[in-house]
Amino acid sequence: MNIIKLKGIRKHYHARTALKGIDMDIGAGACITVFGPNGAGKTTLLKIISGIMAPTEGKAFYNSRAYSESDIKKETFYLGHKTSLYNALTVMENMDFVCRLFSFKQREKSVESTLRKHGLWERRNDPVNDLSQGMKKRLALAKGFITDPKVVILDEPFTGLDIRWRSSILSKIKEIKRQGKSVIVSTHLVEEGCELADHVAFLRKGKLLFINRREEVDAKEIYRLFASTGEARL
Amino acid sequence: MSFIGDALTILRKDLLLELRGRESLSLMLFLSLLLLVIFNFALNPDKDNVSSMASGILWVIFAFSGILGMGRMSVAERDEDAYLSVIFSPVSAESFYLGKALGNLLFLMIMECFTLFFFAILFDFEKIIGLLPQLLPALFLGTLGFSLVGTLFSFLSTASRYGEILLPFLYLPVVVPVILGGVTSMDMILNGKSGEAGKWIQLLAVFDMLYLAISLLVFRYLIEE
Repeated sequence: MNIIKLKGIRKHYHARTALKGIDMDIGAGACITVFGPNGAGKTTLLKIISGIMAPTEGKAFYNSRAYSESDIKKETFYLGHKTSLYNALTVMENMDFVCRLFSFKQREKSVESTLRKHGLWERRNDPVNDLSQGMKKRLALAKGFITDPKVVILDEPFTGLDIRWRSSILSKIKEIKRQGKSVIVSTHLVEEGCELADHVAFLRKGKLLFINRREEVDAKEIYRLFASTGEARL
Repeated sequence: MSFIGDALTILRKDLLLELRGRESLSLMLFLSLLLLVIFNFALNPDKDNVSSMASGILWVIFAFSGILGMGRMSVAERDEDAYLSVIFSPVSAESFYLGKALGNLLFLMIMECFTLFFFAILFDFEKIIGLLPQLLPALFLGTLGFSLVGTLFSFLSTASRYGEILLPFLYLPVVVPVILGGVTSMDMILNGKSGEAGKWIQLLAVFDMLYLAISLLVFRYLIEE
């Protein structure tokens, strides 16, 4: 069953067209990796899927209801290029704030177990400002675990991370996937992206070149497409 | 949670942010003190003319210190897109706006009390402290309007790269009725014409309601990209 359906999505930024008619079905519990070179429209697409950006044309549906009438934002965890954390607040205070937003009854318990699970408990009293980029990303992802969303959207979650943190974040995303959530990830990293995906999509110049099952796509083909745009990352 | 409960959660977070970061209130207090000293040297007021200048000086200080503080509060939300935590939660955009406006109102009121206190000392005008109960309705309603519009515009302007610089140019023309009402009613009270200040205070109340209604309607669209 599809949880998200996009029909004829187009997005214009003044004279520039970022998305040129995207149709996409995202199944409940599926993981889609969206590949594409810089400027292909990945971020715009993910923002539209999350509901924080309205398309210029086309329609988006969440659980068969138009976005404006749906609970998409309440049931989605979105992590963009930035961490969505309050830098001046401590790790604990950031998590506690999220729990308050979701009206959790046992906030302290939930925060403690989540932070312990993500190896952040020892740093609970440190301001987010003092954390490394990898730690910040892990904390940002931890919010996705505590709020128990149905849809998880991650825009280039591996950017700016070294190999150690990259594999740590990859395993956290796999854990989210195992919980049966619908996951949409955009990345340039072919190996990591393919490792996660049930379905692979490739976006170029605002157009979806293909969206296929992972087994049907050869990683070499994705490298070839990246290479044709002058971008490829191992 | 309730509409008000959600707004209080946002307010609580803003208080915590200020406690940890000291980026808004402390800057407002510093700027207001600086402006008080500048006005004191520049105008060199004496006991006879200070009451005619007081409300003008005070509202200029309130306006510029307030713009600085509200801008900083919005930057804290836009930094790292922290506000998205609220957007992707069950909390409504309206509760978010109300919480932010309450936080701004609280910080503005603290800054204004601080400014009034130091104004009384620096300008040798203790009378203003005695008149505080009479000044309070005008001060509160003026500040409320200031915060309601300021919350909206600071959030709007900080979305762009030069937002904090743009804020006064966008915001001040819209908030002119509030500044006018605040200055005039305060001036009347300070100069023994309290009875005539009533209509200006009523005007402030009307503008506050108007600003609140419009802001609640448009804030939802403002936080979408």
